[in-house]
Amino acid sequence: MNNTIITMIISILRLAVPVIITSMGTMFSVRAGVMNLGADGMMISGAFCAVLGSYITGNPWIGILFGILGGMAIGAIHSLVCVEFGGVQNISGLGLNMLATGLTCFFCRSLYSSSISPAVAAIQYSRFLERIPGIGYILVQFSPIFYITILLFLICCFFVDKTVTGLRMNAVGFNPQMVETAGVNVWKLKHISVLICGSLAGLSGAYLSIGQLNTFMEGMTMGRGMLAVIAVQMGNQQPRRILLIALIFGFFDALQLQLQINNVGIAPELIQTIPYIAGIAALALSTTKAAAARKMQPYLKNKYKF
Amino acid sequence: MKSKQNREPLNWAKYFSPVFIILITLLFTSILIFATGDHPLTAYKFMIVGAFGNSAALISTINKAVPISLAGFAVALSSKAGIFNIGIEGQLIFGAIGSTIAGLFIVGLPAYIHLPVCLVTGMLFGALYALLPAALYVKKGVNLLVIHIMMNSIAGLLLTYVVMGPLMGDNKYVSATNIVQDTAKLPYLITTPNKMTIGVLISIFVACILWFYIHKTVSGYMLRACGDNSIAARFSGIKVKYYQTGALLASGALAGLAGSVEVLGTFQRLYDNFSPGYGFDGIPIAMLASGNPFGILMGAFLFGALRVGSINMQAKAGISSEIVSVIQGVLITLIASQYIIRFASSRIFNRRKKEAQE
Repeated sequence: MNNTIITMIISILRLAVPVIITSMGTMFSVRAGVMNLGADGMMISGAFCAVLGSYITGNPWIGILFGILGGMAIGAIHSLVCVEFGGVQNISGLGLNMLATGLTCFFCRSLYSSSISPAVAAIQYSRFLERIPGIGYILVQFSPIFYITILLFLICCFFVDKTVTGLRMNAVGFNPQMVETAGVNVWKLKHISVLICGSLAGLSGAYLSIGQLNTFMEGMTMGRGMLAVIAVQMGNQQPRRILLIALIFGFFDALQLQLQINNVGIAPELIQTIPYIAGIAALALSTTKAAAARKMQPYLKNKYKF
Repeated sequence: MKSKQNREPLNWAKYFSPVFIILITLLFTSILIFATGDHPLTAYKFMIVGAFGNSAALISTINKAVPISLAGFAVALSSKAGIFNIGIEGQLIFGAIGSTIAGLFIVGLPAYIHLPVCLVTGMLFGALYALLPAALYVKKGVNLLVIHIMMNSIAGLLLTYVVMGPLMGDNKYVSATNIVQDTAKLPYLITTPNKMTIGVLISIFVACILWFYIHKTVSGYMLRACGDNSIAARFSGIKVKYYQTGALLASGALAGLAGSVEVLGTFQRLYDNFSPGYGFDGIPIAMLASGNPFGILMGAFLFGALRVGSINMQAKAGISSEIVSVIQGVLITLIASQYIIRFASSRIFNRRKKEAQE
């Protein structure tokens, strides 16, 4: 029994990692007033680039670096369209999702002539923690990216509420004009937050492809980016709440997997709908309207005005 | 006089920006194809031949265009009321489920009653699926985007559940329901050289009705007023929330119709993952056509041609049909940045004009 619980907790944490990282990234972007529906695209781009980097160099850590850059590339397009050129954020996000999915499939087919890449060097386990007495055998089962995630989460918590830049980012989302009057470069802040978002989503993509598995598969994000966006909205852009919601998503994911393995009579699809239904219920019952107050509109530069 | 000078190039730019967007997309795709060692023009040739080469190909392009155009109408209608309906995909799937249920289990009706009943059931299911987001949006001010994404995911899961569970067909190896009854199938307009159902007539009919409603009726005018400036509309006595709810529900109904037509016409049964993202295709088309129903018809034809032509391209030129996803992605991203394209083209236009004046 004890063992089952430990396995379950490990499974929850492992499944929650990609959603946590991506939602931390998306939080920055949403705080700065840029809706990020392209999270899925950034993730899949990161996943592919990570495998590519690991495939070329044989070093998974360089793969992760590639993954971060891959996610950042999509983030850069998003920030170019939405922040610099005053484009429509939601449409751009959807377009980038499609573009990134298409590009990764296209390159995967043309490089490996298959929809699955060959196995590459991966970092699925943290061997260096094996020696720790007592809990070492548990700690070793997580990818090092898991520990990076914990670190990142703590940094995010500190950054958004305790640093000047973090608070300014938040203010940009609510009232860009005011921030500009205070003498801060609004666009630079927005660009940076979208780029952070892209790089974190890329990292989580890298976790999916070379942290959990050792290959890239087409469409391997399976809507986790959208889950992250939902987690950010439901968590009201507060890192701790987002973490909680991401863990809940992870719990239902793990539960669904367990039920599928044990072949219980309930259809796995119905279990998978639970987090969404719970999410809708939570949105319906919540009374806060902070998310609505945030200005999710482009703040145009003067030189681009007619 | 000055304002007229400022406006003229803007209008020109408005008409030209779709052309610009398509040209840039073609350029990008050409570079991509070139990079993988194929000749872009050959690829495009195969794509065009595959989509319009003979009458059979042309008909399959039209068939693909029908659900996409209906989804585009759904997006256009809600965006005229100032609502971005991203939940088309879910409403489409739910509508398809509804019309399949009606097509499978209602027996003993003649075709001229049964078919409309099925289509209306599909529309009702679609509208019903839009009801919850609409109610939450109007009553609680919940973020529509997020709730629609969740509803889309739920619909996809429900579809899998329904075709694997309660509605599973006799053939256990295909995740699909049984074929609907003969009276529920959409009748064919043409059967040789390729089958074409009356779906295309439905699509054109809806386009005409939508155009008439938006441009020629008082209600349509008020709907547009809500979309253009909801505050002004509210102060002039228009019930903004009423119109927005109505637009969302009608949009859901149109999406449901799209799903029904696809299921009752093309497949005649409900497949798992039957929709390759028709709902999402509708969004860029509606944006590209800026909500004009006839523009949407053309855009849907273009997207249908892409989907059909790419299959031929993959077979003949060996270029992965995933390139369609890339083309659409670039297209959508460019549509998102339409503002800057308009701005740039108006700049170019203004400069030319100044030079001409000098």
